[in-house]
Amino acid sequence: MNLADWIGAFLGFVLTLLVFSYLIGDNPLFRITLHMFIGVSAGFVAVVAIYNIILPRLFVPIFINNSSQQILSLFPLILAGLLFSKISPRFAFIGNLPMSYLVGVSAAAAIGGAVTGTLIPQVLASMNLFAVQSNQAFDASVGLRLVNGIIILIGTVATLAYFQFGKYSQASEKTQFQTWIDGLGQIGQVFIALTFGFLFAGILSAALTALIGRVLFLVDFIRDILGLLIG
Amino acid sequence: MRNPVYTAIAIGVGIVVLLGYFLQFDLLINLRIILLEWATILVATTLLIGVVNLFIVHWRKSTTDQPNRVNSIALLAGLTITLGVAGWFGPTDPYSLWIFNYILIPIEASLMGILSVVLIYAGVRLLRRKPNLLSIVFIATAVVILLMTGPLFGIDIPGLAELRIWIGKVPAVAGARGILLGVSLGIIAAGLRILMGADRPYGGN
Repeated sequence: MNLADWIGAFLGFVLTLLVFSYLIGDNPLFRITLHMFIGVSAGFVAVVAIYNIILPRLFVPIFINNSSQQILSLFPLILAGLLFSKISPRFAFIGNLPMSYLVGVSAAAAIGGAVTGTLIPQVLASMNLFAVQSNQAFDASVGLRLVNGIIILIGTVATLAYFQFGKYSQASEKTQFQTWIDGLGQIGQVFIALTFGFLFAGILSAALTALIGRVLFLVDFIRDILGLLIG
Repeated sequence: MRNPVYTAIAIGVGIVVLLGYFLQFDLLINLRIILLEWATILVATTLLIGVVNLFIVHWRKSTTDQPNRVNSIALLAGLTITLGVAGWFGPTDPYSLWIFNYILIPIEASLMGILSVVLIYAGVRLLRRKPNLLSIVFIATAVVILLMTGPLFGIDIPGLAELRIWIGKVPAVAGARGILLGVSLGIIAAGLRILMGADRPYGGN
């Protein structure tokens, strides 16, 4: 390791200890580290945005000898300029024009993405669970697949029923439909609990891996320093 | 006072982009690509505005006599040094990568590490505070999955590996699919409200 690596490793060692100090309670050193982390992250994100999007997509086309491209890149340049007025509360209203453009495009992109990326693939996947070939012999494996398919279908519908946020009528007694939906929603809650338990275990595994990695780094650094001092 | 120009822009560009997704006309597809390209530039610009705003807010905090001004000074130092180094040399330069490898990654990984302790603590608290069917199902699932994630000191509990696979392939898929469908239906409803002008989150009231 060269000097820069040693300084970096020492910095990493100190920062790791400062973050781990949260385990004995919230403290000023942890908060300072967190603020520094936010600053460095924000700086990196800004630089990546400038180098990967703003410069190549906004400014480079202006200097290309292609008049149609130059005219096309003027529109986002003007919109981006107007957007900067949002920094000042007095002139923030000027930024509403590019914001309306951004919201319109984002809403359409979100709808398009949700329909083509989630809704249709998930519905097709649910239908495929019951796709049995007509010439296929009905044996135990097909039966098991169908049973699993039925459980997945019930779970999906029940989970969706739990997220049914419709407004009930003011009548004191529930209708039969409302009672059914409530019952399905309770089954859905069990499926949601199972899913979140599964996700929780995955995140916990990843977090434990990171913890082990950092502890190993601390141990290795101390060993390296001791090795350097003792020779 | 409602401004119909903003609403017209949002609805107009939104409908063009949406049609570009579902109708296979070259003109619409090209328009969608151009409009999305401009939106990408604007998103990057909003990000820069956010960073500028962050700088202004913490500059004000650090220059006034506030109890936590040292936090703001640390944030400003991190932001300025990173902007200076990575902005001048580029984000993939060895100097920028030094900041990335020796400041960002150690803090990120350590935060992820303490997340494990927080998650375990939260799981235990959940069982102690709300010991109902749902929390028991939640914790039991997590325990079964965790038990079979790594080697369990050579101990083989019969059926547990099969149970883990079955949970991952059947009930967890059902719940995840229901949540995904619910989220996408919510996104579609919220998007359509914007495209119909019912919601105007851009100052159009």
